[in-house]
Amino acid sequence: MKTHIKMTGELHASILQDLKRRHPFAAERVGFVFGRLGSLADGGRLVLLTRYHSIADDQYVEDNTVGARIGSDALTWAMQAVYHGRPAREGIFHIHLHGHRGETGMSATDRREIPNLIPGFQSVGRDAGHGIIILSLDHGSGWVWVQGSAEPAYAECISVIGAPIGVFERRRTA
Amino acid sequence: MSKDRYSRQSFLGADSEEFISRCTVGVPGLGGGGSHIVQQLAHIGFQRYVLYDYDVAEESNLNRLVGATLTDALAETPKLHLAIKMIYGLQPNANIQGFACKWQDKPEPLRECQMILGCVDSYKTREELEIVCRRYLMHYIDIGMDVHGKERPVIGGQIIQSSPGGLCMRCMGFLTDEKLAAEAARYGNAGPRPQVVWPNGVLASTAVGLAVDLVTNWTRRTRTHAFLAYDGNEGTIRESLTLRNLAIKQCPHFASSEVGDPVLVEL
Amino acid sequence: MAYPAEQTDDLKRYSEKLSLLPEAGVSFLLMEGLRLPAGCQPSVCDALLCPVAKDGYPSRLYLSVQVASPYTRNWNCSNARIGERNWFAFSWKVDLLSPTLTQLLIAHLNGFAKDK
Repeated sequence: MKTHIKMTGELHASILQDLKRRHPFAAERVGFVFGRLGSLADGGRLVLLTRYHSIADDQYVEDNTVGARIGSDALTWAMQAVYHGRPAREGIFHIHLHGHRGETGMSATDRREIPNLIPGFQSVGRDAGHGIIILSLDHGSGWVWVQGSAEPAYAECISVIGAPIGVFERRRTA
Repeated sequence: MSKDRYSRQSFLGADSEEFISRCTVGVPGLGGGGSHIVQQLAHIGFQRYVLYDYDVAEESNLNRLVGATLTDALAETPKLHLAIKMIYGLQPNANIQGFACKWQDKPEPLRECQMILGCVDSYKTREELEIVCRRYLMHYIDIGMDVHGKERPVIGGQIIQSSPGGLCMRCMGFLTDEKLAAEAARYGNAGPRPQVVWPNGVLASTAVGLAVDLVTNWTRRTRTHAFLAYDGNEGTIRESLTLRNLAIKQCPHFASSEVGDPVLVEL
Repeated sequence: MAYPAEQTDDLKRYSEKLSLLPEAGVSFLLMEGLRLPAGCQPSVCDALLCPVAKDGYPSRLYLSVQVASPYTRNWNCSNARIGERNWFAFSWKVDLLSPTLTQLLIAHLNGFAKDK
């Protein structure tokens, strides 16, 4: 069952611009991007990203064991956003940037930390898709949990509908 | 495959071949305009297609249906088959989803496309395709031609690019309530419309040029929209006059929230 | 666009479910399980009420199927794509001054029950 993520070129550019900014103490920045679901043939899923939320500098927690840690204020905001997004079935995606070129995947820290957020989002926004997106300088990978699923679907493609068009295809297995 | 195959289009960029091959293009309508478009896309190197046409080749098509022969007209070869044969003849590894029906009858495959090149024959269908493109985030490139006037025929046409977040066909003054109403009053069917191969070729080539630029960015011009008007009598393509004094800077017709499968608000 | 609550409440009487479907600047009213006038086949179907001018009509009622009725109608709209579904409509112009949603619906349904 195919999973495909799409966003406009404008959104992609604004996300990259924000995530590339230096943080006073965190090694990297994170943000939240919101998306709505579309159905594909054969039960496949389309996630259409609509808007981005930049996490304010003062909502990070200093922790030099990880690239970035966000505090409870940021998480509370995210949960409230998921709650308010329920009528539109809008889901939330944790997003950050790995500063290299080419396909990227979850680091060991990403794998340990980020998926823990998903059950909370799912419990509040049951009908939406939630997940994780990791961008590189010229590529991206995504993991989507839909409607109560315990395991994510790895997005086979992320399309940037801009000028130029970007098509980031999954070649890795994890 | 020889490395020379695309050497003459290397100006499109070092990675252009790869970018082109990864892009999925939808072409609803494989008649006079669509058959040109498919031919050119295949020559350039596009590998992934979602195609729709329920019609067959007939003698009256032969003046403009690229790829069709007299034998095809006699055999009533489906236009879809002609397009698929065209593509496989140039790109044997192409991934083609072809549907011998109206796109409205099987719309889900279109949603995976990054862009749709519309070669349809009604304003209503154009409006519907643009709505789908805004809902499921796809560039929409539209072409169409018409011949009007009896005493002195005038060939006109358009090539339009409507992209998510950018100005739409209404913003650009192409789609209007008046045009849609007039078309509806004719019951959506204007009868057999004049169609000839060379204007179709001009429009299709220009549309493919826009498409290749969207994929490769070879002109380094970031185009958020386009409305090019074709004057078939003068042999010119110019930016439509409606764009010159455009007051609209941001599209008010498509809410950014109307993305994805429709969400109903129960009352 | 929001419609007056008292009007949508009244409209709910005619179908099993009433929802708002916004698309491309038009707020359609989706009436799931709309009960059609006597003599119609089928007797129930989904419908979209468009209370604003569109495609040359001051308002329009789209139906999920082409309905057979006692009077022959000109179904000049088939497979209109709205809200990711296909819809049908017959040629029927309703000219009312400031109708409520219910008055509009009934005027359109009269297209099945009246010769014009």
